[in-house]
Amino acid sequence: MSVPQDLFYAKTHEWVSLENGIATVGITDFAQSQLSDLTFVELPEVGVTFEAGDEAAVVESVKAAADVYAPVGGEVVEVNGELEDAPELINNDSFGKGWIFKIKVADESQVDDMMDADSYEELCPSE
Amino acid sequence: MNAWSVQFNEPVPYQEGLDLQRRLLKARQEDRIPDTVLMLQHTPTVTLGNRGRANYLLKSEEEYKALGIDLFHVERGGDVTFHGPGQWVMYPILYLGGNEADSHGYLSNLEEIAIRTLGDYGIKGFRREGKSGAWTDVGKIAAIGFRLKKWVSFHGMSFNVSNDLMGFGTIVPCGLEGEPVATVKTILGEECPDLPSVRDSMLNHFSTVCNRELERFDADGDLPAELKSLF
Repeated sequence: MSVPQDLFYAKTHEWVSLENGIATVGITDFAQSQLSDLTFVELPEVGVTFEAGDEAAVVESVKAAADVYAPVGGEVVEVNGELEDAPELINNDSFGKGWIFKIKVADESQVDDMMDADSYEELCPSE
Repeated sequence: MNAWSVQFNEPVPYQEGLDLQRRLLKARQEDRIPDTVLMLQHTPTVTLGNRGRANYLLKSEEEYKALGIDLFHVERGGDVTFHGPGQWVMYPILYLGGNEADSHGYLSNLEEIAIRTLGDYGIKGFRREGKSGAWTDVGKIAAIGFRLKKWVSFHGMSFNVSNDLMGFGTIVPCGLEGEPVATVKTILGEECPDLPSVRDSMLNHFSTVCNRELERFDADGDLPAELKSLF
């Protein structure tokens, strides 16, 4: 299972990359593997504002649905529209093309509360 | 790992069961209770999952009402299904986001519980590629649909024991046209085991497959204090 070193992680299995005050958010490889083949992604609307921990999106496979939480607070500035037609991007490339939404972060220090790759890896099952 | 199960002897109205699941979900997310499995039957109900399409309902809302069948749109994965007395419904409220998560995945574990339970009664159950649930030569016996919130599961699996299949005749089960639904009774007839026996079998297999030792409670009996306030 891959866990890129340069990202921040939430206990609820989201990842964040932070650049120029914009946080890109997706779900981890572990999360997608537990949900199996995704068939639908419910994206947030651009312009809505989330607090850290708010329900922001829903990912669904044939028999499962799981909430995706905003790991940091702020305004949604972009969503990955490609997921509407190709939710499998999350299965195939969860840390890349499978990103879900971008948030203009209200307070960058919020990522300090998130885990680094090593701590996150300890949370996940060891194969 | 230790977990609790709570069983109901009388059919529970769908809304009541859903409200209870939501209270347990919240308590589990906040770590106020351990993983907890509900085992119950519902009064006659048709439910549509998140992506459930209304054209799989073969009756109007009024007709369902006239038949005494409740109709619900629910937040679980999966399509359309029917619940009624004689069918066990297993709602595991489990934290699946930690390092105890099973790499086979939760969906596969639920299927395994159903297949092993069928095996206890000499019935060959199997998976079908691309279709979830547990199947037999004469039709589908177990249907699955669940939701994760903060990586705690709710909703779950239904398993047909001796329920009247009339209810399934009012829908296209799971949106699978031309796929028959069966019960244990369809296969075993008079030899069909009683409901408590099947319930115990399912809970035993839950323990093994999901690797959780169960401390079992009766909904009408003495419950642990942490649960009592939620029932």
